[in-house]
Amino acid sequence: MKNLKRLFKNGAARKILFFFNENPNCIDTVKGISLWIGGDTVIMQKALNTLVKEGIITSHKTASTTAYAYTNNKKIVKNIEKYIKKFKGL
Amino acid sequence: MNEFEKKEKQDFFIKFSKSGSVGIFKKLCSKALKKSGCAFLDTEYRPLNSSRECSHLKIGKYLARFKFSSLKEYMVFKCDCNKPCLSFPVMQGSSVYGHALFTHLDREPNKKTMDIVRICMELALKEFQKEQELNKLYETIRPRAIALSTIHTIHRLLSSTLNMDELIERIARLTLQVMRSKHCSIMLMDESKGYLIPKAVIDLDKEIPRTGTLYKKIKIGVRQEGRVAGTGKSVLLRNSVCVPLVEEDIIGVISARDKINGEPFDKFELEILITLAEQAVIAIKNAQMYEEQEKMAYGSIKTLAALLDSKSPNTFTHSDQFVKMVLAIAEEMKLSREDIASLHYAALLPDTGRFSIPDEILKKPGNLSRREYAIIKKQHMESLKIIEHMEFLKPAIPIIKHHHERYDGTGYPDGLKRGNIPVGARIMAVATAFEAMISARPYKGKRISIHQAIKEIDDNKGGQFDPEVVRAFVRIAKKPEFKNMLGVSA
Repeated sequence: MKNLKRLFKNGAARKILFFFNENPNCIDTVKGISLWIGGDTVIMQKALNTLVKEGIITSHKTASTTAYAYTNNKKIVKNIEKYIKKFKGL
Repeated sequence: MNEFEKKEKQDFFIKFSKSGSVGIFKKLCSKALKKSGCAFLDTEYRPLNSSRECSHLKIGKYLARFKFSSLKEYMVFKCDCNKPCLSFPVMQGSSVYGHALFTHLDREPNKKTMDIVRICMELALKEFQKEQELNKLYETIRPRAIALSTIHTIHRLLSSTLNMDELIERIARLTLQVMRSKHCSIMLMDESKGYLIPKAVIDLDKEIPRTGTLYKKIKIGVRQEGRVAGTGKSVLLRNSVCVPLVEEDIIGVISARDKINGEPFDKFELEILITLAEQAVIAIKNAQMYEEQEKMAYGSIKTLAALLDSKSPNTFTHSDQFVKMVLAIAEEMKLSREDIASLHYAALLPDTGRFSIPDEILKKPGNLSRREYAIIKKQHMESLKIIEHMEFLKPAIPIIKHHHERYDGTGYPDGLKRGNIPVGARIMAVATAFEAMISARPYKGKRISIHQAIKEIDDNKGGQFDPEVVRAFVRIAKKPEFKNMLGVSA
């Protein structure tokens, strides 16, 4: 995935990817995700929107709330896992 | 000491040598000992992490000769370059985990210096223990806190809809997401409680047709889902997990199959699915109650419509086609579910406002006189009082009241204009006019063709009708199913 390199350069997007790679079962709002990874909700929202566009994060929208979850696409998940390992220098 | 204890000790020591508290220890000791390198050697005096591996390896080998006599004591000695070195044991209670090795000291450490090193070591170990406890808490509590937050989010997502089909689909999608599985199915018990009816079957790899075998009902006690529904006990297998949906009785089952990473399901995931199922049951029950309430409401309205119709057929109600058309326009305009429900009620009783208008005025073919028009205006509100006591019909009253308004403000009863007319009323105005034009009622004038009626409606947009509603209506009229909706062969 050619965009992953660019996404990893974005601090907020990187944090979100690390978080969902570690907690793939999680479904949470932007407020919740910001709390878990420690970040400004506005910046997190922007990063989440980008990740939704890239198909890495799935959004579940209702009239009152929007929740975000990790993609179920095995290929994307594996690619991100590889990138994270590379990033951590493992 | 057995192999397991030995490994545990070594792990502890490796973690300690890499921990943040050791950084402070090294800093404080290097000040007390006046510039020295610090490395950690295990109980066999082998270096753990050293930038000067060779020199420490050499010293370690040298110290190994004394290991049995000096294990629990510090040792001061001179290395090859004739500089003093210090080996200090890392101990907790009577257990030795390894040694801190300080090399290239300027001078031999005195008693005071050794006391400082000892205090620093004790502090570092205490800090490390705290660090370890915090890490343990983080590792055990954080995933559970995240899971709890996930369940809370799911509860919010599920409680935001009362539409059963939408809800079941949403539960299935969220289950796939939380369980990280490829396949999920939700089945509900039929009324006889003898069968499970599949309500949603989702597979990430393929589209499941509603007419396929996966949507066939299952007898209670047969297959995994049937057995879970029969016994009420959850089942956790390597590739699948199935949980009953229990309120007072078992109302169905929810199951997930095949994790996307190929790993087996574990007990933690079973716990999550059980909690999700509890949330799902509440939402399903709420939706079922809402559906029942809605059925009762429609039943009451239909009874009222039948009563009105018995007085004068086709005067207060319209055809089923009219209702379908109104709803189709509302959906085309993407009105909210609540607005569509109110509009549905209004469409079932569109002309209740005419109830107390005299028949000779209602059925008069040509234009109305001023006096007749004044009677209509007055009686319109009076008639609506029939339904205002029915709470669920209150949102429909403005739609019924104003659907004879015209977009340009020349209609009745209040002469409202444009956006001041409720959107439901603007939709009903188009549907009412269209129905009147294509039907052959004695007092409605000459019947015209569907094509002509659509043109007539379109020609009057911006005058009699809301252009936005007309555009939505024309779009629907172009669809092949429009003629079926009107009950006319295509």
